Amino acid sequence: MSDPILSLNKATVTFGGVRALDDLSFDVNRQEIVGVIGPNGAGKTTLFNSLVGLQKLRSGTITLDGVVVSDRKPHQIAALGMTKTFQNTSLFPDMDVLGNVTTAGLLHHPLAEARDKAADILDRMRLTPIARAGIDALTFPQRALIEMARAMATNPRVLLLDEVMAALTPSEMDEVMETARQLRADGLTILVVEHHMRAIMSLCDRIVVVSFGRKIAEGTPDQIAADPAVIEAYLGSSAKEKEVQHA
Amino acid sequence: MRLKPTGILLLVLFVVAVLLPLGLDPRGNWLRVMGTVMIFAAAAQAWNIMGGLANQVSLGHAAFFGIGAYVSTLLYINFGISPWIGMLIGALVAAGAGALICLPTLRLTGHYFALATLAFAEVCRVIANSWSSVTGGPVGLTIPFAGDAPMLFQFRSTVPYYYIILALLVVVSLVFWRIQVGAFGYRLRALRETPEAASVVGVNVFRTKMIATMISAALTALCGTVFVQFTFFFDPDSVFSLTTISIRLAMIAIVGGLGTLIGPIIGALFLLPLEEVAITLLSSQASGVAQLAFGVVLIAAILIEPRGLVALGPWIMRRLKGGQPSAPSDMTAKGETNV
Amino acid sequence: MAYLQAILDGILLGGVYGVISTGLSLVFGVLGVVNFAQAEFLMVGMYVAYFAWAYLGLDPLIAAPLAFGVVFVLGFYSQKLLVGRVMSAPPAAQIFLTVGLMITLENGALVLFGSDFRSVNVPYQIQGFRLGELFVSAPYLYAFLWAVVITGALWLFMARSWTGRAIRAVAQDPMAATLAGINTARTYNIAFGLGVGLTAFGGAVILPYITVSPTAGVQFAVLMFTVVVLGGLGSTTGALVGGIVVGIIQSLSGLLFPIQLQNLVLFIIFILVLALRPQGLLKGV
Repeated sequence: MSDPILSLNKATVTFGGVRALDDLSFDVNRQEIVGVIGPNGAGKTTLFNSLVGLQKLRSGTITLDGVVVSDRKPHQIAALGMTKTFQNTSLFPDMDVLGNVTTAGLLHHPLAEARDKAADILDRMRLTPIARAGIDALTFPQRALIEMARAMATNPRVLLLDEVMAALTPSEMDEVMETARQLRADGLTILVVEHHMRAIMSLCDRIVVVSFGRKIAEGTPDQIAADPAVIEAYLGSSAKEKEVQHA
Repeated sequence: MRLKPTGILLLVLFVVAVLLPLGLDPRGNWLRVMGTVMIFAAAAQAWNIMGGLANQVSLGHAAFFGIGAYVSTLLYINFGISPWIGMLIGALVAAGAGALICLPTLRLTGHYFALATLAFAEVCRVIANSWSSVTGGPVGLTIPFAGDAPMLFQFRSTVPYYYIILALLVVVSLVFWRIQVGAFGYRLRALRETPEAASVVGVNVFRTKMIATMISAALTALCGTVFVQFTFFFDPDSVFSLTTISIRLAMIAIVGGLGTLIGPIIGALFLLPLEEVAITLLSSQASGVAQLAFGVVLIAAILIEPRGLVALGPWIMRRLKGGQPSAPSDMTAKGETNV
Repeated sequence: MAYLQAILDGILLGGVYGVISTGLSLVFGVLGVVNFAQAEFLMVGMYVAYFAWAYLGLDPLIAAPLAFGVVFVLGFYSQKLLVGRVMSAPPAAQIFLTVGLMITLENGALVLFGSDFRSVNVPYQIQGFRLGELFVSAPYLYAFLWAVVITGALWLFMARSWTGRAIRAVAQDPMAATLAGINTARTYNIAFGLGVGLTAFGGAVILPYITVSPTAGVQFAVLMFTVVVLGGLGSTTGALVGGIVVGIIQSLSGLLFPIQLQNLVLFIIFILVLALRPQGLLKGV
């Protein structure tokens, strides 16, 4: 457990006077699935953007498998093995589905191989029927899945999933979770931002709770579910009742 | 691989272009017009790499065109270096200038990038006008006559120029095609609307745009050299012109079909003879009327069919097949490449 | 003393640049479209003032509101029939639509009026005032004063009138403005008309010291963009300050460089500002 693949050390990001990330530190171990939760505006998306290099840190460091990546550009971080999906999806509109996934494969492969690999990934995710579809023609859940497929084509070691399950039906959600577990079994480490508590509780080994850019709790799903501070800060008192009803 | 209709059309156009001098008067005006059409098609094709594939709309390609013209000509006049060599050096200089302009402007997109490139070309024009000791200033430069001297890029007949220009168009188009269907084209299309997503999956956005700009600049410079070898005389206001070079190149590509291989060729074939006819018909106020027509065509093209003349292709094909108007699926489905 | 004089001249010039550029900035601020044809509307304004002088005997300073009115209508319909249809199109379409408009207006003027340079004759053309050792040229001063007045009027209009507030609302959030019952499409028409009208007004007031020809707009194009980029695209107060800054720079560089390099200085400032602070030098300062 003492050999984390990803470490945040006092990561701080400010926008004007607001601290979007405030001295945030935590580790992620190899082949772990870690959930990041927190209320809206807690800094989850800023965290993911910082991890992949889209957002510069004001101070602190991020280390990926021993290499400091917080001063690197996104494409360099992708080459080192960390990438993410986009929350409201940001697929390449000028290409079909296969083209989207192929482009990501170009990071490590020449074009022909990248295309084969993309077809392979789409096949495994049972997306082959829409491989030649344009992005405009896709539903939101389909786009979220293509986001995942595209990210996987970069051969990541650490994959950040930003609310891929937002609009999925329960059965689709189960499928994504199964895919995630399969990927972890193949050696991947996964960070998940998700609002859906059932999904995050059943999928994650460990959960980090963020509020106003700070870490307020960290632990197994059971520990987090029982943590009164978390329930107070994240769910709020009324939401707590709702959650109990759901459970 | 099955040839697509556009591939067949390109092949037909190429064969016609090769045979055309047999049918045209070698001393006549129309051969020169066709030469000009092909130079501008080539330069618009070069513009298309940046403006069409990378969506970096440049309003300053006259800078590269003029650099090509000035570098090769000045090397020839001052040092006797053949324009054949000079055009390659001009291309290198233009690529360097392209890289230079990238450093401060590549973060800019859309309107800002267009403004910055426009200003860059204007800087070049002002320098060429003011630095008379080197550039000859506003008077312009005339390429010294050397008779029939193929090694010095000079011929008595228009026909050799015509074939050189055709070769240039073929080369630039092949480069465009290679980029479009290759890995580089994937990267360009990925970054043009979603640069963040492209970078997160490993596309080096800055480098990709920079290389596209340098290739586009170098090819445009080649066109600049060939153009002035063909016309023998030029001045700063003609080769660094905003309207007759920068905007015209962009317009040819847009009217023909932005980001497509055949677009600039169709666009040049449509626009330049139109201009030529306008000039012949209305010799008194010719330039004004022709330019006016240009402006109206540009506005009309953007309002009526922003995808350009190539968008008429599927419609024509359906008509040729004589069938019912087919479902619009072949129009809306986005292929990986829209040749 | 030469420098002081140059600065004074620059301020007088710059005030007019400010009005001209405010129009461009207004159009961008409200519509989000960089109008490459803006300088051609300036040229149209100059022609309106010229013909008002030639046929009606009106002083360009008096004809300036007329120039504003004519170009306002022209702009209103240009927006309604042309620009409005590419508002949600990609930048390339917007750029080339306004570029097409630019070519059309310039060459339309060439076809209609010929390529002659025309100028007006007014009694105060070469008059001036002494201010200690400084010389204040009358036409420059009058143009400057008019520019200040119209800028003040614009400010009042935007702050007080219902239409002005509607324009600001649409600029900030078109969706919310629509929900609040504002006719967004009409507001865009008006804002564009107002923007090009202001620029035309600026064109009319400088006619006493500048000649008009179909290409008269071109020399102001880059200048206008420099001013607006300095002030921050979309900021109208920034445009006024930017105009004065550019006026002073241009006037001072006239002392130091040969005349043809004056524009070069502007271009280089322009590129540098775009590169270093595309949000504008004066914004947030």
